[in-house]
Amino acid sequence: MAVVVTVVFLLIHLIPGDPVGVMLGPDATPAQIEATRRSLGLDRPIHEQLFKFYARVLQADLGQSYFLDRPVVTALAERAEPTLVLTFASLLVAVVIGVPAGIVAASRPGSLADRALMLGALLGVCVPGFWLSLNFIYLFAVRLGWLPAAGYASVFVDPVAAARFMVLPALSLGFNQSALIARISRSFMLEVLSQDYIRTARAKGLSQPIVLWIHGFRNALVPVVTVIGVTMAVLIGGAVVTEIVFNIPGLGRLIISAILRRDYPVVQGVVLVTAAAYVLINLMVDVVNAFIDPRIRYE
Amino acid sequence: MKRSAHLSILTVLALAMALATAAVVGVADAQKRGGVLRVGNLGEPPALDAHWTTASITETLTNHIYEGLYSLDANARPIPMLAESHTVGKDGLTYTFKLRQGIKFHNGKEMTSDDVVASLTRWGKQSSYGKALFAQVAEFRAVDKYTVQMQLKEKSAIVLISLAVPNNFGAIYPKEIAEKFPPEQKVTEYVGTGPFKLAEWKPDQYIRMVRFDDYKSRNEPPNGYGGGKTAYVDEIRWVPVPEVATRVAQVETGELEFADDLNLDAYDRLKKNSNVKTIVSKPYYWLVAVFNKKEGLMTNQKLRQAWQAAIDIEPIMKNVAGGHSEFYRMDNSLAPVEITTWHTKLSGLPWNEHNREKAKKLLQEAGYKKEPIRFMTTQEYKWMYDFALLSKQQLEDAGFTIDLQVVDWATLVKRRNNPKEYDVFTTGMGSFYDPTHHIYLTPGWPGWTTDEDIAKIQQELARETDPKKRMALWEKQTRQFYEKVPVIRYGDLFGLRAARTTVKGFNEKTERIRFYNVWLEK
Repeated sequence: MAVVVTVVFLLIHLIPGDPVGVMLGPDATPAQIEATRRSLGLDRPIHEQLFKFYARVLQADLGQSYFLDRPVVTALAERAEPTLVLTFASLLVAVVIGVPAGIVAASRPGSLADRALMLGALLGVCVPGFWLSLNFIYLFAVRLGWLPAAGYASVFVDPVAAARFMVLPALSLGFNQSALIARISRSFMLEVLSQDYIRTARAKGLSQPIVLWIHGFRNALVPVVTVIGVTMAVLIGGAVVTEIVFNIPGLGRLIISAILRRDYPVVQGVVLVTAAAYVLINLMVDVVNAFIDPRIRYE
Repeated sequence: MKRSAHLSILTVLALAMALATAAVVGVADAQKRGGVLRVGNLGEPPALDAHWTTASITETLTNHIYEGLYSLDANARPIPMLAESHTVGKDGLTYTFKLRQGIKFHNGKEMTSDDVVASLTRWGKQSSYGKALFAQVAEFRAVDKYTVQMQLKEKSAIVLISLAVPNNFGAIYPKEIAEKFPPEQKVTEYVGTGPFKLAEWKPDQYIRMVRFDDYKSRNEPPNGYGGGKTAYVDEIRWVPVPEVATRVAQVETGELEFADDLNLDAYDRLKKNSNVKTIVSKPYYWLVAVFNKKEGLMTNQKLRQAWQAAIDIEPIMKNVAGGHSEFYRMDNSLAPVEITTWHTKLSGLPWNEHNREKAKKLLQEAGYKKEPIRFMTTQEYKWMYDFALLSKQQLEDAGFTIDLQVVDWATLVKRRNNPKEYDVFTTGMGSFYDPTHHIYLTPGWPGWTTDEDIAKIQQELARETDPKKRMALWEKQTRQFYEKVPVIRYGDLFGLRAARTTVKGFNEKTERIRFYNVWLEK
């Protein structure tokens, strides 16, 4: 993580652009810009700024956002809820669509159902999230008026409004993510279903659902859980496009705004949190996999 | 007979008065108080400190919270706001301002001359308009509780207009706040005298402003940005919606009452919606290519003149406006039509000549040998990219070699301050309310217009107080502009806004949106 943080610090500082120029607006003079750069400490050498950053991180202080007038830790905490809600809601959609689709497709390989489901999965991978989101908004919000076009309400304040706001983003993001889960599920289920013990189970006269779900699926679950874990880690880093289109004030929107504004402390903070989430989720995936498959042991 | 005639006349008069009263009452009734006005805009303001930044989003928001001593009327002329009146000494060097009495800040404190002196002193150190004005000020002091006096070093034409500009403006803060935050540090305590006060700011979610019940309006009717102001709505909720397609959808569904800064391609769709009113916002920007006159190729005036001669502006504007003629205007005045005081109608200017032969001749005279000209633009503002791309094609047809460099806005803003990094950059020029405010004619702004003749007229314009002589100087400066070509003036581009039909009283004629005097029909 130290490496990630250092690389991000250097990258964001080395690319051209300046937070002060953006903050002071298009008509600001170079003299105004220089004065404000000095007041923010941005005139100091990069290495000096980097060491200061390390010293602060060791004290669990990620610094102060230039734009948001609050500590980065506070900004991250505020944005965590929308991102987590969106992550779990879209993951639920992705799993509910992806896993059964993969299993059904694998159970009848080459059939019409298999081809239709895999075509759907292919579309899910190919269709840009942006396009899908805007079409969902146009259809369900503008034309039919069933759901709000965009926005966010906290689940702790107004759960009903929160659910209404979350349906379209969760569906569009979940559909995209379900494609990968469906293809992985199908692929590993096919492998498992060709094993001898499955043939034995069928020979014993076990019903198709029991063969598929009890004997087959559990053994295909390890890679599926791994891909769900990876998807979750990606989403926690911020579903950038979905958050922007549906105007959800989460981490994805935060990092994009921060990059465009060159709000260095916020970019570093989001990357640090995302890196930590990756590590944590990978650990959780390993633990779950060990639980699912007792043969897996980590030395 | 005579008596009955008198009676008839009296009856008619009485009826007319009764009808007039009913009409007035009807209008008053129509202006309903209450409701939440949700406004979707492009993004988050970098600050809510009017002195600190020139960002237009800050201008829009802060003008609801704060006020200055002066404001602009419908013809962009200064009119008093927090000032009651002013007098100018016989020598033209002493401006004495009487302040309105009983004006309350949002914290309940009364505004006095101490607040004005502290605020404008801070503004004079940070804002570009404030700096220009205070460069001419010898002393600024409080005379008594409701009087301030400005002593000038030399005669000045820009005192009132500088105090009236809405961007980066001389907002009056309580003295304690103005003195607590040094000019280069943005204010984070938001207390003004405006009709709305800040209630809550959740970055990237919303900014809530609520009606200030103790607001003391001027008695005059609303006039441009100034005059009487009434906060009819209980609350304005500014919602940053960065994705423009989402802003369009939200105003269509009624999730927003007002959406600003929309893409022109949404115009046809919005026009078909009977619940939505489209608003063409003008002036918006005139498109401009700014030359680096400090270093490099474009220090050569002939080369700049060749660029001016080569371009065919109308097809560029038409394309940038998405083919809609409602959204652009061909005009060569440096002040837009709407700034009536300074709009010029000069003939014979070398504008929009699209004369390729003349351009080629000028290129030859300039000794140009096809060296690449670094033309910097951004896709963050689509109109900038579009006009840069179309210009590149036209210029290359005339013999230029254009190296179009597309970067993000933050990079462009940084690079344009370094004369080694570019030859030309794109931007837009909003309204300037006085000839001395045109930043591209000054040596301090990127592009660095250091031409002595231009500077001389700028200095004369700053000192000359006779309006007729100032206009003559401005016309001379305009002719000079087209000869020296510090920047290329393209056409005027207009913006698109949309409001639900329930939004009433919105003044469509101001450049930036204002929501005082606006009410919602239930």
